[in-house]
Amino acid sequence: MDLGISALNYVSGIKNNEFTVEEFISESLDHIKQVDEKLHAFLRINDFAIKKAKEIDAKIKSNQNVGRCYGMPISVKDNICIEGSKTTCASKVLENFIAPHTSTVVSKLHSEDSIIIGKTNLDEFAMGLSTEFSAYGPSKNPWNIDCVPGGSSGGSGVSVAANECIASLGSDTGGSIRNPASFCSVVGLKPTYGLVSRYGLVSYANSIEQIGPMTKTVEDSAFLLNIISGIDPNDNTTLDNKNQDYLSDIDAGISGKKIGIVTEMTNSDGLSADVLDATNNSIQTFEKLGANCEQVSLQMVPYTVAAYYTITSTEAGSNLARYDNVRYGYELDSSGFEFNSYISQARSKLGPEVIRRMILGGFVPSAGHAGKYFLKALKVKSKLISEIKHVFEKFDFLISPTVPIQPFKFGEKINDPVSFMMVDFNTVTANLTGIPAISVPYKITNGLPIGIQIMANHLEEHSMLQAAYALEKTVDLPEVPI
Amino acid sequence: MKSLVNEEEISDVAKLMKIDLEDHSAHIKRVQKMLEYFDILDRANVEAEEITVQETDLDKLRDDKHIPYDKNLLKFLKSYQEKYVKAPKLN
Amino acid sequence: MTKIGLEIHCQLTKLESKLFCSCKADYREFEPNTNICPICMGIPGSLPLLNKIAVEKATLIAMALDCSTPDKIAFFRKNYFYPDLPKNFQITQLNAYGNTSIGWEGKILVGAVKIRIRRIQLEEDPGRLIYEGATEKTKLTLVDYNRAGTPLVEIVTEPDFETPHQVREFLNILSDLLENLNVSDPGLEGAMRADANVSIEGGSKVEIKNIGSFHDLEKAVHFEITRQQSLVERKIEIIQETRHWDDGRKITVSARTKEEEAEYRYHLEADIPWVRINDTTKNQLQTHMPESISSKKERYVSKYGITSQVADILSSDKYFSELFEKANNETNAKDIANMITTDIMGLLDTREKREMSKLEGDHISDLVEYIKSNKITRASAKLALDEVIKNGKQLSEIIEDLDLGHVSDETTLSDIITEILDEETKAVEDAKQNPDIVNFLVGKVMQKTRGKADPELTLSLLKKHLGIN
Repeated sequence: MDLGISALNYVSGIKNNEFTVEEFISESLDHIKQVDEKLHAFLRINDFAIKKAKEIDAKIKSNQNVGRCYGMPISVKDNICIEGSKTTCASKVLENFIAPHTSTVVSKLHSEDSIIIGKTNLDEFAMGLSTEFSAYGPSKNPWNIDCVPGGSSGGSGVSVAANECIASLGSDTGGSIRNPASFCSVVGLKPTYGLVSRYGLVSYANSIEQIGPMTKTVEDSAFLLNIISGIDPNDNTTLDNKNQDYLSDIDAGISGKKIGIVTEMTNSDGLSADVLDATNNSIQTFEKLGANCEQVSLQMVPYTVAAYYTITSTEAGSNLARYDNVRYGYELDSSGFEFNSYISQARSKLGPEVIRRMILGGFVPSAGHAGKYFLKALKVKSKLISEIKHVFEKFDFLISPTVPIQPFKFGEKINDPVSFMMVDFNTVTANLTGIPAISVPYKITNGLPIGIQIMANHLEEHSMLQAAYALEKTVDLPEVPI
Repeated sequence: MKSLVNEEEISDVAKLMKIDLEDHSAHIKRVQKMLEYFDILDRANVEAEEITVQETDLDKLRDDKHIPYDKNLLKFLKSYQEKYVKAPKLN
Repeated sequence: MTKIGLEIHCQLTKLESKLFCSCKADYREFEPNTNICPICMGIPGSLPLLNKIAVEKATLIAMALDCSTPDKIAFFRKNYFYPDLPKNFQITQLNAYGNTSIGWEGKILVGAVKIRIRRIQLEEDPGRLIYEGATEKTKLTLVDYNRAGTPLVEIVTEPDFETPHQVREFLNILSDLLENLNVSDPGLEGAMRADANVSIEGGSKVEIKNIGSFHDLEKAVHFEITRQQSLVERKIEIIQETRHWDDGRKITVSARTKEEEAEYRYHLEADIPWVRINDTTKNQLQTHMPESISSKKERYVSKYGITSQVADILSSDKYFSELFEKANNETNAKDIANMITTDIMGLLDTREKREMSKLEGDHISDLVEYIKSNKITRASAKLALDEVIKNGKQLSEIIEDLDLGHVSDETTLSDIITEILDEETKAVEDAKQNPDIVNFLVGKVMQKTRGKADPELTLSLLKKHLGIN
């Protein structure tokens, strides 16, 4: 049995009786046992996976209605709640937190008979881009275990790349789906803000974050997006996508489309030589596919990293204030403590990156500093939104390499804060503007993956997926070496 | 000429955020570096911009209905005498 | 020149659910921590869901207070750590990016004084803290989150009050207004709370918090004015600060908490989009707004000929004005109004009594009719009212049950009068000298007939028997 098959091929495999759900799940669990000690993609495995697999097999056998997923194993980032199970956000502060509710996205997957095979590792509270900030140890890149898998949805990326599961749900605030997708050579999609419900996602920066699929193929992302998207009464910020079918006409091609090459994201100073090379190659590919590529400038891009960190620190400072260990968290008796010192004690369990964001988040919106930092960041965001709107009047898509560099070694970026922040340079624009973006695996150079990012206008996932599919079809990448 | 935000200010903010900075220098220095980078925002020339927000209509909001939460939430929380939530004493 | 401003918090108790979740808005009947859900408890992954009717009711309040209302409202986070705040921030409103709170720049008249309303905002109430044991020995704080998320409207006035009495007046007017609008029941415990700020002779503004009741508010303001005046006399500077009302010692004490230095890091609540409130909605709300108290009063006076004083009392009480509307058929309006204000208000003077009462509009109109047609005396009517309130039976039944029928039969009365005159020989003697003694004898007859005797007839018959004119 090929654990590396796509979701769509898995479904046909089940329908054609090539294997049963139980067989596939069982082998997946064995595989996880074999590789995950080294890769550490998972924080927790679902003990009821086999039981659920048997139930679904029974349903199939008795010709009952089966959900679209047919028991496929899907992993979920551990900042997405599932009722009755731990959701730690890879933090010590939520070590014992058991969620009392299930997120909308997981409810939808459950109702389509998918099997959530486990919860995946992340940078603590989704703050990071390498999974090095997980309080439970980093995940390793299956292409080279000395290298980071990207982040913050690093565990999700690894679990899909290493064939531990068919697909994963991650979350993307500044590139946290696309960055690990690029680093692990899988497809990662950040939907339009509001397309997918955030109910059940532990908030980090709630004005820009989204849950999205990480999959082996572009079609699989479209397949999952069909299931998880749509307006949700449990989330006031969701939009009505009128039940759009993202799989329909996905192979329509991009002949005649206008593609903008974002100058600020593709300039040779910012990219590594190998990434620059792959990017130029992809431009040629797009042209061969019949699209017209042209340089386009987004003047606000150089300010986006600063704006992003300012805005997200402010929101994180607020969203994480509730972790005072009073109502839930971990064991620490409050007897003998005074309120303020108890909270400080509780929060001392937060990791170093989270602590830094808390401090920034207290500083940048405070009276006396808000004008210089927070308000300016909001205005940069605003101006960027106008720029993007204007640019999409002319262009159908925008492209760039997903990450300016290839996967780096553990410890390499962690001590230089500015160089670290710059890894997000190409991805934060889509978050700040709310537009959809997808990373498509494009090349493996020196054994390390490079992904190409395609961005489209608001709610234009359907056409964006067509472009991603067209690009993907031109590429034939080696298997992951595990 | 770049000016670093001073250590005392950062310490004060940490207190506000209930963060106890035991290892002062490492965190403070790093935060200073990040704030210094944020100075780039001054050059964006965005003073005249209005902020952009998401909007919705009144009729899209939740109806005013009492729906009791049917699960015992208290058992998911840390509770005291199964009635109250226990918090540390206040000054 | 004394300046007093108020900050009033009013719960929208007439809503079914909380501001951001479907737990009950009125938490009072629940055991601790049983009116909670993941949303109002701020459980990770939960998102606030704004209550549509809360926005409408808050808008009604803004309109009733003559405020400008926005085309879009926005919510902000006020960030601070406290055990009664499940998220350690409160979702509230601010006017940081233009006017986005539920109302601003309104006014209300307190007698002849115009009190300006600076702004009105919609926000959530925190939970409640319970302290274990005495304060010094307190080892922990116990929290009940049933109230967390209850919808509040905060009304901030300009410092237009000059006396504590005006403040009290205003609060009464505001209570009646809110009750009349059917947005809140101010009589419920904790439903309306107020803080004040006081400054004298253009000096520093002092905030007073932690005031338990409106009665205490008047006292607190009065005390604070006195305190400041004495400082000024001794040429001591008044410090701008927050003080708490100490109910035990009946004084204000310096709070010296971090409240004054608080940094709230206000920013938009991104989980709730800005809500558009269009003119159509506003017009609809305006059209369906319950009639204002002043409009009712005017109508009672001009349409029904009720005296200004009675109209005043009747119109400002929601329960009784509704009873009046149900009972009256225009022709008997004056009598109904009088009966309500004179007799019924006294009998149903508490919330509990009103809730248990079985009195309906028809009972009152029947009673008024019976009195008019002499089927029952005013004195008996009072007994009948008592009974109706208890069991809600038809008036005719009650009159039979209690034998309250009017005694207007001359023969029967004469017999009774003869009895009385036999008993009260001294009075009969005195009556010849002092005609006023007849009233005493009338009283005796009324006593003997348990109030059923027709007073006029009794008087004339007595006079006849006594041979007086």
